[in-house]
Amino acid sequence: MKRTALVALIALVVLAGLGAQTINALFWDDAYPRALMEMIPEFEKATGYKVNIEILQPPQVFTKTSVAVTKDSTDYDLVCVDEGNIPLFASLFETYDKWPAGKKYPKLDPKTVTPAMLDVAMWDGKLVGLPINGNLYVWMTRKDLIENAQYKKDFKAKYKYDLGVPQTYQQMLEMGTFFNEKGISAGFGPFNGGPAGVFGEAIFMWSGFGTTFIDQSSGKPKVTLDEKKGAEAMEFYKKLMAISPKGAETMAHAERQAAYAADPKGIFSMFIWPAQIAGYEDPDKSLVAGKIVYSAPPAGPNGKRYAMRGTWAVNIPLASKNKAAAAEFVYWWGSRDIAMRLVEKNTVPARTDALTDPKWASKPWLAAIADSMKSAAARPRFKEVAQVQDIVKKYWIMGITGQMPCADAVKSIVKETNDVLAKAGY
Amino acid sequence: MTKGEARRRDVRHRPAAPLFFLAPALIIVFAVLIYPICFSIVVSLFDWPLSAGAGERHFVGFGNYVDLSADPEFWNSVKLQLGFIFIAIPIELLLGFAAALLLNREFFGAKIVRTLLLLPVFFLPILSGMTWRFMLQPRYGPLNALLISLGVPEMTWLGNPLMAYVAVIVQDIWRMWPFMFMLLYAALTNIPAEMLEAAEIDGAGFWRRLRSITVPMLVPTMLTGLLLRIIDALRVFSEVYVMTEGGPGNATLLFSLYTQRQAFSYQKVGMASAMAIFLLILSIVFAVTLVRKNMSLDVLEEKAGG
Repeated sequence: MKRTALVALIALVVLAGLGAQTINALFWDDAYPRALMEMIPEFEKATGYKVNIEILQPPQVFTKTSVAVTKDSTDYDLVCVDEGNIPLFASLFETYDKWPAGKKYPKLDPKTVTPAMLDVAMWDGKLVGLPINGNLYVWMTRKDLIENAQYKKDFKAKYKYDLGVPQTYQQMLEMGTFFNEKGISAGFGPFNGGPAGVFGEAIFMWSGFGTTFIDQSSGKPKVTLDEKKGAEAMEFYKKLMAISPKGAETMAHAERQAAYAADPKGIFSMFIWPAQIAGYEDPDKSLVAGKIVYSAPPAGPNGKRYAMRGTWAVNIPLASKNKAAAAEFVYWWGSRDIAMRLVEKNTVPARTDALTDPKWASKPWLAAIADSMKSAAARPRFKEVAQVQDIVKKYWIMGITGQMPCADAVKSIVKETNDVLAKAGY
Repeated sequence: MTKGEARRRDVRHRPAAPLFFLAPALIIVFAVLIYPICFSIVVSLFDWPLSAGAGERHFVGFGNYVDLSADPEFWNSVKLQLGFIFIAIPIELLLGFAAALLLNREFFGAKIVRTLLLLPVFFLPILSGMTWRFMLQPRYGPLNALLISLGVPEMTWLGNPLMAYVAVIVQDIWRMWPFMFMLLYAALTNIPAEMLEAAEIDGAGFWRRLRSITVPMLVPTMLTGLLLRIIDALRVFSEVYVMTEGGPGNATLLFSLYTQRQAFSYQKVGMASAMAIFLLILSIVFAVTLVRKNMSLDVLEEKAGG
């Protein structure tokens, strides 16, 4: 009798498990999706859907998507794609206008997404997913340094203007040099990690010096980098390298955070992706929690600011057999309620109304993000961009570390990029 | 009935049982060895994007091989890989041999010392790479802390192309020399003590015994160790990936890292397969050179004085 009851119980559990519709999702690993994951049981309870999440580092998300999603088959009902890779995968995703209506959560109006982020998921004039986070360059400057009366006095005496948040590249260099020379802190925190990040730094500098690396206005990528301005920008970054902490040649995010937030000297000023701010503002992990001023990036010699964008979009593969459930999950994720709770956890969703809510006066980076969004800038996007990123990374680092003259490095970037584009048939 | 006809009849009537028993092994060898190699060869003849979004597959013949031969980065990665092998492995062999000679005697705690020496081999390569990356960091890396305490300025080891390459090699030597030690120590303990004693009685000193008995007797083991390590070193990937990702620039972009980049970053699986076939040929060249020329019974007996 007992055995029969046990078998019946197991059968019920198995049937219940089979009955629940499962949404298989592929997420990138950072604080934002992790904050969301804590809330997912609420969605499961409200809808009866089960959400099965695979969370990987961004390069592995790219590889996994490449292998697991085709037009005819997919291992996932939802995949998150970094904006640079949208051109590669766009043809494999359902366009947003065809996403089913939600049963429990209303279909999101794309206008709820901050305009600066919306075109992340646009390709060939179609919205192929929904931008889901608000990630773009925000500048961090040490408040304790710029508000120190003695430093202010000494700086003004030397440079004839007030110490503060750097508004231009030149101010960033001068203020950074001031602190570095006095041994108070390192002046700048470069990013010399992965190819996509280094590509972002190069585009940031070239744009500020008034030259565009690749023009895509005709629909085809074309190298338009002015070699003279390109080399000047690289030379300038080389000067910033000279006031950076030891080991700047290989600094990726972990090393930058260690140098800025865990080293007693720290760094005066550098960019940060909003997704990482939580780590800098956690008093248990950071020596500078509550001591950072956030702002839009400084302007280049051409007088314009460029906040490089690094946003993720969530997409439904064409081959998913679970589109309604997947869409329901995105509508829940993108709802104002969830977005507000994600902001509360120091992460940055893409919804304008959640980012600009007056409730968040205690989170000064949100105002800076809003400010940065006014000057959001994208890296070039095309299918072969990974090869171009590697070329730029190789020669950019050789130039800024003095392994080869900057002018030669820029020439090599232009030549090899042209070779890649020619071979790709552009 | 002629002899030929009889032989043919024997073959026809040979029982099928041996084939039946061999079949599982043959199927497994085909499935895990022959088929993947054949498939790789086929893929290498195609422009084969990893993602369906990157375009359609199409036949390019030997186009990938032609492109590779004209790719300076490919030749750079071959050069770096061969440099890695020819620098790291001989040093590992020498260190392993020296340690085996030193520890081939009994003393208090000998077993513990021998066991502890083997520890690095059990390190996961990825952990070894991460540990070395941490140790070599400026500001908080222990190696630089040591330099500073000695009054030497700290260095950005992994930021300098030459130093990064050296660091990658040193990491490999640190992790894998105990492997050579393990093999050579086991072989040393198998050399008959009588032979060494006889030589000693005949007046042979340490160096003479080493040159005339120990080394010749160890040659087969050394060659086996070299072959295993070369095959392993041709595939080295994860430790270098986490230490340098192939940088700075492409200073440590070993062959395996470049293959991975072609397949997973550039989406060119056909090109990566062509590189894999090149690596296979390189491995076969190494294996044939070592096995056929040095490990045939005649040569070994000759080297061992047989």
